[in-house]
Amino acid sequence: MRARPLLGLAALLAFLALLDAAAPRLLNPYYVTILSRIGIAVIAAVSLQLVNGFTGQFSIGHAGFMAIGAYASAALSVFAGAALLEAAAQLVPLPLARFLYFPVALIFGGLVAAVAGIVVAVPALRLRGDYLAIATLGAGEIIRIAILNIDAVGGARGFSLASPAHPAIDLRFEGLGGVLAVALLTIGAIARLVYSGGGLAFRAVREDETAAESIGVATTRVKVEAFLVASFFAGVAGALFAHSEGYIHTNSFGFVRSFELVAFVVLGGLGSLSGAILAAATLTALPELLRGLGEWRMILYSLLLIATMLLRPQGLLGQRELWPISRLARGAK
Amino acid sequence: MSLLEIRGLSVRFGGLTAVSRVDFDVEEGSLVALIGPNGAGKTTAFNVITGVYAPSEGSVRFADREIGGAAPHRISALGIARTFQNIRLFRSLTALENVRAALQGARRSGVLDVLRPARWRARELDAARQAHDLLDALALGAFAAARADSLPYGEQRRLEIARALATHPKLLLLDEPAAGMNPAEKQALRELIRRLRSEHRLTIVLIDHDVSFVMNLSDRVVVLDHGEKIADGPPERVRRDPQVIEAYLGSDAEGAA
Repeated sequence: MRARPLLGLAALLAFLALLDAAAPRLLNPYYVTILSRIGIAVIAAVSLQLVNGFTGQFSIGHAGFMAIGAYASAALSVFAGAALLEAAAQLVPLPLARFLYFPVALIFGGLVAAVAGIVVAVPALRLRGDYLAIATLGAGEIIRIAILNIDAVGGARGFSLASPAHPAIDLRFEGLGGVLAVALLTIGAIARLVYSGGGLAFRAVREDETAAESIGVATTRVKVEAFLVASFFAGVAGALFAHSEGYIHTNSFGFVRSFELVAFVVLGGLGSLSGAILAAATLTALPELLRGLGEWRMILYSLLLIATMLLRPQGLLGQRELWPISRLARGAK
Repeated sequence: MSLLEIRGLSVRFGGLTAVSRVDFDVEEGSLVALIGPNGAGKTTAFNVITGVYAPSEGSVRFADREIGGAAPHRISALGIARTFQNIRLFRSLTALENVRAALQGARRSGVLDVLRPARWRARELDAARQAHDLLDALALGAFAAARADSLPYGEQRRLEIARALATHPKLLLLDEPAAGMNPAEKQALRELIRRLRSEHRLTIVLIDHDVSFVMNLSDRVVVLDHGEKIADGPPERVRRDPQVIEAYLGSDAEGAA
């Protein structure tokens, strides 16, 4: 009984490790980059879906938390990464130390973003609807401009992961296995969260706050929790982005990026994780697929967005999921 | 002993006094009806007891604790549950999810549960079983997987009661449970309330417009009119009370002329 999930996990890890090693040999770097950007977009979209789709709080500043995760983890790598690796290399072989550094950097980026998430959420969640949306948009921009003015992380020049003190040590993560593993973990964690008794509290807040309070749901706390978890995973996505690209600039985390994430969750269907995954993957790949059309591609991209919203205002999947977990929880015996 | 004690309760909204210096007690295990014409302050009184509004004056004590002005979710945790006059279900959730959302123990799970699948599954199954039992008890078993807003009206009213019961309350407040029902449905509802009261050992306060619905059901009737209490006693006596008759039918002079 207990062996089966462990076996599955081992098989999955083996597959991801293989993929990590094989991808750069089988695929040209362009495809590897696109696939890893899809993975990152999926993580960010799924985490935003928790706030916008499941808790019903409309946030449009999610890229700000990605920026914090990206810069915090990049700063860790540049300023302390080499020292951490040297210390770890005393105990374990260097390749293993590098492998272990991967989750450390991601969790660090996530935690810093989560702290920022709470700082923004506590005052902002007193607002509702449009007012909340504008406040989160403002918070995202404040974060971006604040980072732009910190000279230690490059300011307007951008921030490169190559550490000037230790040019020999490269802390970038290449390959796809890591991104995919983190994306799967994120989807799993958020699916567990929203399709459990605990997740019903999020959805109860979305449906009717007065009724939710009347059955004992501390609505403010639930909203802050959603924001906290979402900004953590946005930070992880940002950290992945920083370490797979090797160079970051605040321009990557502006409101255009935030709106793109909102488009993923709305187009996928507010309240559907599979919808957010599908939309994030499609809309990240689409501009690349349309590249042959030259300057027409952004026009076609926009027209596709408009057409989808006209034909399916509830999003691609509405509130449905493509996997069976929700059917069981929803009341089938 | 009184489970609920209301003393000198006033609620004002700006210049409007919705409830004015009202006192009443609810004995443990009793069923008290709160009646009165439209705008008498019945629902406002419920909203104060459940924490939606804070009292402007006076005190609300529940099980020997002052609860006036506490947050609604805290009051729910102390053991007060309610239904709403204009049904407030979680509309896009299923009937089962509506009930499960209210099961307190089932809400303790989190992101880290992705690492503990067996424990998570056991807890989820237990919560689902409890919720199914409650739905069955209210003859809603067939609707478990249906969206709440797709249920017929009477079933929606019963689902709200099931959701309230899932919080394991000591005191249940029913806000016009019989609204919009025909005489046969009202009779069925009376029987349901009697059964739930004995099975769950509940103390109940229910609101209705009309004294006839609560005649054979309640132990005591409290009558509000224009925010003030005008009568309080056994249903038989309240029904003959001249002040109550006047509140409902207008004064004798108009009626006799």
